Amino acid sequence: MSGEIFVIGISHHTAPLELREKLAVSRDGLDAALRALRADVHATEAMLVSTCNRVEVWAAAANAADAMESARAHLATCASPTDVKPFLYERRGEQAVRHAFRVAASLDSMVLGEPQILGQVKESFSAASAQGAIGALLGRCFTRAFAVAKRVRTETTIAAGVVSVSSIAVELARKIFGDLAGRRVLLVGAGKMSEAAARSLRKQGARLFVVNRSPERAAEVAKLYGGEPRAFESLATELTQADVVVTSTASPRFVITTEIMSGVMKARRHKPLFLIDIAVPRDVDPRVGELDNVFLYDVDDLQKVSHENLALRQKETEHAEKIVEGEVQQFESWRRSLDLTPTIVALRERFRDVVKKELERTVPRLKNVSEEERRTLDAMAEAMVNKLLHQPLVELKKGADAPEGAALITAARKLFDLEKDIADRTEQAKQQAAASDKATPDGPLTPAADAGPTRERT
Amino acid sequence: MIVTILFAVTGLLYAAACTSFLALLARGTASLGVWGVRLLAGAVVAHVGFLLADWLAAGHVPTGDIHETLAISSLLMSLSFVAVARRPKMRVLGAFVTPLTLLFFLAAALGRSVGHVPPNVRSAILPVHVGANLLGIVVFGIAFAVAIAYLIQERLLRRKQIGGLFQRLPALDALDTLGLRLVVIGFPLLTLGIVTGTVWAIRLGPESPMFSTAQGFALLAWVLFAGVLLLRVAAGWRGRRAAIGTMLGFICAMAVLVGYIVRASNGAIQ
Repeated sequence: MSGEIFVIGISHHTAPLELREKLAVSRDGLDAALRALRADVHATEAMLVSTCNRVEVWAAAANAADAMESARAHLATCASPTDVKPFLYERRGEQAVRHAFRVAASLDSMVLGEPQILGQVKESFSAASAQGAIGALLGRCFTRAFAVAKRVRTETTIAAGVVSVSSIAVELARKIFGDLAGRRVLLVGAGKMSEAAARSLRKQGARLFVVNRSPERAAEVAKLYGGEPRAFESLATELTQADVVVTSTASPRFVITTEIMSGVMKARRHKPLFLIDIAVPRDVDPRVGELDNVFLYDVDDLQKVSHENLALRQKETEHAEKIVEGEVQQFESWRRSLDLTPTIVALRERFRDVVKKELERTVPRLKNVSEEERRTLDAMAEAMVNKLLHQPLVELKKGADAPEGAALITAARKLFDLEKDIADRTEQAKQQAAASDKATPDGPLTPAADAGPTRERT
Repeated sequence: MIVTILFAVTGLLYAAACTSFLALLARGTASLGVWGVRLLAGAVVAHVGFLLADWLAAGHVPTGDIHETLAISSLLMSLSFVAVARRPKMRVLGAFVTPLTLLFFLAAALGRSVGHVPPNVRSAILPVHVGANLLGIVVFGIAFAVAIAYLIQERLLRRKQIGGLFQRLPALDALDTLGLRLVVIGFPLLTLGIVTGTVWAIRLGPESPMFSTAQGFALLAWVLFAGVLLLRVAAGWRGRRAAIGTMLGFICAMAVLVGYIVRASNGAIQ
């Protein structure tokens, strides 16, 4: 066989964050890690995908089982002393190709449809390409994967909305203010969820201000996320200047009342204000949400939106999976055709060889065979080979378009013991190509240039 | 014959563009927006052809016949929107703009047999009056569409219905800013249109049908737009109220136009 693609790795589906952190490779360390991987794994093609949600070894090898064993060993070494084996998942052949397409299209991400993963896979692919570790199989598989991702993004609305609470906060803020760069985010009180939201907003280029009853805590949080601490007494002033406010104090009473807010809205000349109340019990009087140009969302609202989005996108996911399936079938049919041609050539050569050898042995034993009779015998032998091979070849070619085709090709190779012939011929062809044409080597495919320097969400 | 064909082609292209933008609003498939813009650009070309052929056939240049005004309004509105739609996120607004242009285009075709402006009403002021009002209507027409989009988006946000439609419409603040800019551009045009119209009507004398409800509506529109701008600067009126003001202003301006059309189809001069 020309080789089989496989993947072994861990992801947010299978492994806890601590282990993913341990195996994850930074962008700067990617080259070295890939080199180490290629030294350990017996594969013709290899690539390493590492984000905070997944670490995956991709490879293609003629002897996939052997290569997979070496990849497992490599990962075990990287993770030691932790035993990584229970967290590993493996896919090979068609399953691996499907996995590649789903990962690139963000169908396997923690936040479904998030756009960063594509850039990260493209980066990994470029790094592997630069090392010459990408050949025909991984090359084709991932260039197709990038095309699938693009199709999923344009043909479905899966990337239009995201589902975690903090990303919904960002999404809503963007739908109110458009660009968030330079907008002021005010964090009132502190908590895990509100800090996650503040961090996401900060990533979009917003400026962060922190107000807390304890000035020390305010300074601490501000320092952690690159914001500025402000006195709790200046809350009203800060509210006047803010665009997005995230509250999560432990106060049993409303911190932001309608009285405060109607004054604030006048002072801010009714500029729109987005309030996110993550506190339980609530910090913001729900009546504040009835004011003009004030948009108030509490935890339940965010949760509800998150669930609605999920349900809404169920249908889109189905559509996306259909796109992936179609592309996987096309890829497989290409891969089968890759195996088909050498099989047919080898099969024909084998038959001809046998007939030729038998003729050469038999003809000298016959008496008075004229030149013409010899030619007739040759023609008869050729006709027999063709007739005998006709139906098998038709079936093999038909198989290239169907999933069972791979089994037929394997069967043909096994029945007539063709593997060695094919390997010899491939080696010959390689040497010839190298000798005759060094100027244009069959170089690795390069990925599309728009790989963004972003990371998958943790 | 050629005029009829061009008319049909233009109408169909406008309708197709409109359908495409409405589908974009409903489904969110990006390619629908691309097609909408292409169809609209095609409609603009066909429309120019139609107007040229029509004027050649009629043997007169446009002097301000109400139908020609409407026709040119729909043409310019489409052209302006093609410019706005260079920003992909704004393409979905076509769902609100193109029904308006289609309506204008069809209204322009109604009762087209009514004669053009008779000599005694003609004046040097007329082209200025018509030109200013025409551009004003175009700008306010788009502002009206933007205001509708704003109100829908605001309502969805307030009701926490963050579904597909919400995702497809542009950001609230972007709509608000665009709406304000359009009113700022349209307001001087409307002012100029009203002033020239009044001067012209006074010249024609008090018997002129120009002193009518039309002027009342025109003034009301002016007051509304002036209010939107003034309250925005003075009291920081924004968002929903500004959007409602803009919509009402456009409706009043439209009432003036409808008044003209009704009178024109009754056979009276405009």
